[in-house]
Amino acid sequence: MKYFYTFLFLLFTFLLTSCSEQEKPELIMVTNATFPPYEYVQNGRIDGIDPCIIKRIADRLGYQLKIQDMSFDSVIAAVQSGKAHVAASGITVTEERKKQVAFSIPYVIAKQVIIVPENSPIKNSTELKGKRIGVQHGTTGDLYVTEKIQNPERFTHGPLAVAALIAAKLDAVVVDSEPAEVYISQRKNLKILDEPLTYEEYAFAINRKNKELLDKFNRELQSMQKSGELKNIIDEYKSRHSANAADNKVESDTFFGKLGASFRINFIKENRYQYLLKGFFNTIHITFFSLILGIVIGFGVAIVRSTADLTGKMKLADFFCRIYLTVIRGTPVVVQLLIIYFVIFRSIDVDKIFVAIIAFGINSGAYVAEIIRSGIMSIDKGQMEAGRSLGLSYFQTMNQIILPQAFKNVLPALGNEFIVLLKETSVAGYIALDDLTKGGDIIRSQTYDAFLPLAAVALIYLIVVVCLSKLLGLLEKRLNKNE
Amino acid sequence: MSEVIFEIRNIVKKFKKLTALDNVSTTIKSGEVVFIVGPSGSGKSTFLRCLNLLETPTSGEIIFAGKNVTGHEIGLNKFRRQVGMVFQHFNLFPNLSILKNITLAPVKTHRMSRKEANEKAFELLKRIGLYDKKDSYPSQLSGGQKQRIAIVRALAMNPDVLLFDEPTSALDPEMVGEVLSLMKELAAEGMTMVVVTHEIGFAAEVADRIIFMDQGRIIADGTPEEVIENSSNQRVKEFFSKVL
Repeated sequence: MKYFYTFLFLLFTFLLTSCSEQEKPELIMVTNATFPPYEYVQNGRIDGIDPCIIKRIADRLGYQLKIQDMSFDSVIAAVQSGKAHVAASGITVTEERKKQVAFSIPYVIAKQVIIVPENSPIKNSTELKGKRIGVQHGTTGDLYVTEKIQNPERFTHGPLAVAALIAAKLDAVVVDSEPAEVYISQRKNLKILDEPLTYEEYAFAINRKNKELLDKFNRELQSMQKSGELKNIIDEYKSRHSANAADNKVESDTFFGKLGASFRINFIKENRYQYLLKGFFNTIHITFFSLILGIVIGFGVAIVRSTADLTGKMKLADFFCRIYLTVIRGTPVVVQLLIIYFVIFRSIDVDKIFVAIIAFGINSGAYVAEIIRSGIMSIDKGQMEAGRSLGLSYFQTMNQIILPQAFKNVLPALGNEFIVLLKETSVAGYIALDDLTKGGDIIRSQTYDAFLPLAAVALIYLIVVVCLSKLLGLLEKRLNKNE
Repeated sequence: MSEVIFEIRNIVKKFKKLTALDNVSTTIKSGEVVFIVGPSGSGKSTFLRCLNLLETPTSGEIIFAGKNVTGHEIGLNKFRRQVGMVFQHFNLFPNLSILKNITLAPVKTHRMSRKEANEKAFELLKRIGLYDKKDSYPSQLSGGQKQRIAIVRALAMNPDVLLFDEPTSALDPEMVGEVLSLMKELAAEGMTMVVVTHEIGFAAEVADRIIFMDQGRIIADGTPEEVIENSSNQRVKEFFSKVL
């Protein structure tokens, strides 16, 4: 038990050091970098039309630009909650969104188009009704289709929707015209219908309270528009991207030839394997520390709960523990993660990994607590009596006699919880944390290939879980030496 | 042999509706070997468990070495260090080696240093002939060996009194002897002992005093001859005619 205090100390030392400090006036921009050519990740950097325009504006206004990548359905919330100054993510101006954030003057007029397979019977937007339509969650395409046509199938990334279309899981995909051009330039059997579904304006979203920043942005945008700088940026990125995209095509006839080429594109080219590597380390980092936090919380709660059950003391602490267990076990971990990031740490600049550790640790603690408690309750009450009859205190007996036996009994269940925890961290991408799953997503959004990145991600999780099970097996064997 | 170590005044123990002890009073002198006998459910185990406060009496007082130990929890752990207990089901700690089972309490309660506790344990283990088992675990021992270790574990605290709660009831018949002979040795050495048992023959042989309990009350109290052979109480006579 002594080690727990050491662990606790190390944990908090670590957590404290991972909070970053602010030094210069920063302009934080949020985006979802899976929307080429507006924003995408290349060589580990976020680039595109939006980052380029914002960078120029930030330079002119004397800000230090910091770009954060997150899911598209979170960018507006990030601006609204004050976590970011500006959302630049090919955001279409809509009445709904205007209620939540202020928009700059539009910098692009875009359209939503319909992508269908080459041989599709769908000829125009009126024939969409009743078909399986894919969209990127939270985009204008999503809003428009939902409102005017039907409930679509919502994907986290445009390329995923296109992959589903290729796999014949969908009849049509509605996306912005520019990325649509890029998607179909890489795939032979797709086409864009001539008639666009709708026209729309792209603008930057800024917190409604920040009038001053909005005015500055509008001024700079106007001047860039007048000088032609805006148009130059957009044209430059569009042409650069269609040239790039052509490179990603897999051209080979044999199965292994295709696989090899696909492997090179997904992992070797532009050192894309590094997304997986970095994601892997982040996943392990989060899992390890939230596991320790979970064990610390779990043991504490389990001891309070079982002390209340066994002796009738600590009623108040028991009451709070019960509330904790009910709330945490009664809500999904991803919702807890989002609440902790967007609500609890709303206006505090904290490291995302820290937030993830807190969220997953608190979540896991609830399950660990009930597992440990069941272990404590399974120990014969004669053990406690024997300890007490020798003059040991309740907590001495707990530490020396009950907990070691309880821990051994519940080790398989705990091992299972740790495996679940490892895999649950895959939702960390919701707060734009580059974990292993997100690493695979980033590669997919660049290569438009679903199979290899997903297979690689799955394989890595599998290997980690197998190793973890082996370690737990060894520990179990060691603890069983006295039987 | 005359100093009073336990004075029990009017203790009552109720479990919800059941009254397990109904106004029990007695005294136990230092060096006395007291056996408590009686039919199942007569309250004898509850009485024994009240003596080291594993059960808290609903009312009444227990005076130990001149101090009232009921009613305040502060001195509880200290009090229990002076009163050892041996359980029917041994209750050895399966996660600890035999040596650790014996030395855990003396070391953790700062009664002895680790070295002193080890020496004491070695001495006791040699005495019962189980020194070679010091690094074994409880699951590797027979029932009789386990119970003798449990007695040694209680002895390692140098208690003033040893309580035995049916120490041979969970043993195979051929293992009863080894436990009883150890208890006999302790009695001969002058250890104060309170024993709840069904081994009437053994009680008759070893006891200084026998207390007969029925329905939560003491209904006979005296030397073995007085209680077993010459009791005038009908209930006591009936009981011994059946078990002897």
